[in-house]
Amino acid sequence: MSVRNLIAEKLMWESLRRWKNTSPELDRIQFLKTVPFFNELSNWQLKKVAEIVFLRTYDPAEYVFEQGQPGAAIFLIMDGQVAVEISKEGLTTSLATLERGAFFGEMALLDESPRSASARSVDGCKTLALYRNDLNRLIHSDPATACHIYRALARIVGDRLRSTNELVQAAEKLAA
Amino acid sequence: MKRTVKMTLKERERQVRRQIFQSCFLVACVAVFVFLIWKLKALLLPIVVGALLAYLFRPIKDRFQLSWLPHELRVLSLFACVGFCLFMVFNKARQMIPDEKQKLEMKVRLKYKMNEKFQELFGAGNAEKRPGPIAQLIAKEVGPAFGQVNQMLDLDADESDRFQKFSKGFKGQPPTEKRFIEYFEANQTASTYKVVIREPAAVPEAAVPAPAATLEAEPKASLIESLSIWILAPLIFLFLGFDNGQMRRYFVSLVPNRYFELSLTVLDMLDDAIGKYLRGTLLECSLVGATLAVGLFLLGMPFSLALAVGIVSGLANAIPFLGPLIGLVIALAYSLIGENIVSLIPGLNPQDLAIYVVVLIGVTHVLDNVVYSPIVLGNAVNLHPLVVIIAIIGGSELMGVWGMLLAIPTVVVAKTAVETLFKELKDYRII
Repeated sequence: MSVRNLIAEKLMWESLRRWKNTSPELDRIQFLKTVPFFNELSNWQLKKVAEIVFLRTYDPAEYVFEQGQPGAAIFLIMDGQVAVEISKEGLTTSLATLERGAFFGEMALLDESPRSASARSVDGCKTLALYRNDLNRLIHSDPATACHIYRALARIVGDRLRSTNELVQAAEKLAA
Repeated sequence: MKRTVKMTLKERERQVRRQIFQSCFLVACVAVFVFLIWKLKALLLPIVVGALLAYLFRPIKDRFQLSWLPHELRVLSLFACVGFCLFMVFNKARQMIPDEKQKLEMKVRLKYKMNEKFQELFGAGNAEKRPGPIAQLIAKEVGPAFGQVNQMLDLDADESDRFQKFSKGFKGQPPTEKRFIEYFEANQTASTYKVVIREPAAVPEAAVPAPAATLEAEPKASLIESLSIWILAPLIFLFLGFDNGQMRRYFVSLVPNRYFELSLTVLDMLDDAIGKYLRGTLLECSLVGATLAVGLFLLGMPFSLALAVGIVSGLANAIPFLGPLIGLVIALAYSLIGENIVSLIPGLNPQDLAIYVVVLIGVTHVLDNVVYSPIVLGNAVNLHPLVVIIAIIGGSELMGVWGMLLAIPTVVVAKTAVETLFKELKDYRII
């Protein structure tokens, strides 16, 4: 990290400390630091991300998004639990229950393809949403930060592809 | 079990109450909004202009990225740059505005040259030259309007007195050129041209000019009033310039969860479509203005004047149909009063300048429709010509020239908003 960035970061944390010991912005930055998606980002870059995310609060059993809807944002769970469900021929299957620090709907950052599953708040939850076009704009305003986020996204997609391949190979072996 | 049912009922009641409250709140908000718009309609225009300028300015602000510079300082330094450029432009424009003597000379010259051209074309007031039947018909139709323009260009007693003072050297100004004095004298007998066509209508009593003191006081008062209102435009521009997405975030935070992603997508699509249209129109108008300025300069108009006509015509081009007409009137007016014109294109007869101007406006209009508009705007927003005409007439009825200028962007905003909203509501399976 360059000296300029170090000074900028120091100044930022000092100003934040002076401002309030527990401000919503500080809370968000501290939370974002715990999310694997943003673990490569510096505090200064996290502050920039915290400025563009939207805080959303959901009631119990309220849908965050529904299967088939066009995706526009990735959601990070700040508080509470979210159930990921898939519906087929009127039958709903729960795939996973995600907790604080987890994220879902990340494919929406790449394109507008429909959501492959629904996400529903279990007992009420708080999420941070990062909108696709805000991230696209970040490419122009802060390319380094956007680059880190896209790299993290590529790594996650790659990991998922690898595990899917392993599953397919295992299924083929079983079939043989 | 009973407890669960009771809770569900309570929840349902709460949901109904919430829906009633939200509906009432929405209706109240709309009513207050409409009431405020109606009561503060005088403030609407400066707000819209300020917001529009901030909107057009935003891409420059977004491109000016210096990570080490805080946002506020970045915007302030950009404002300083833009302010300095605007100051230079206005300063230059102020120098080009004619003073009192030049205004009087221009009026005298325009009246003289107009009458000269009219006489030349239709032989009015000339017993030797008999105009043809078509020329007579045109003269009969154009005559009343020509008479009115002639009346407008007449110097009143006070102006005549000042012109005569200036002709001998007044307020430290050099004496007026001899040709202008000759024009002035010729204009005194120019009423014969009017008589040939039609006697000017009697001036109604209500139109009798008020005493000079009242006339001067009224514009001053209205000027101060409009200035105090127009101070809003730079303020709106400034505050919207400082906004770093906070307003959008606030409005999106009010949207129910169900419509969260939808609202972001709709806002973005609207922003994209309107931005493309407005910036495209600005570029198109600049291209039309530049073409006209270059063309008029090549035809022999002084550079500063050609530039001024280009800027005005370019701005007027934002009003469909009427824009080219305004440009034509301005350029034709100059071609009528222009003297000692030396065209930069060899072989052009300076006597036929008016014809060349008409051809130039025509060529510019064709270029605009065939080249500029399709390239710059593409199919950004397709509006039916009838909608355009109705919007312009409606705009002029509501807010005069400003209404005409803002009519099409308003229709574009409304059309894009409705189209995008319906498309996205369907995509999100809400309707």
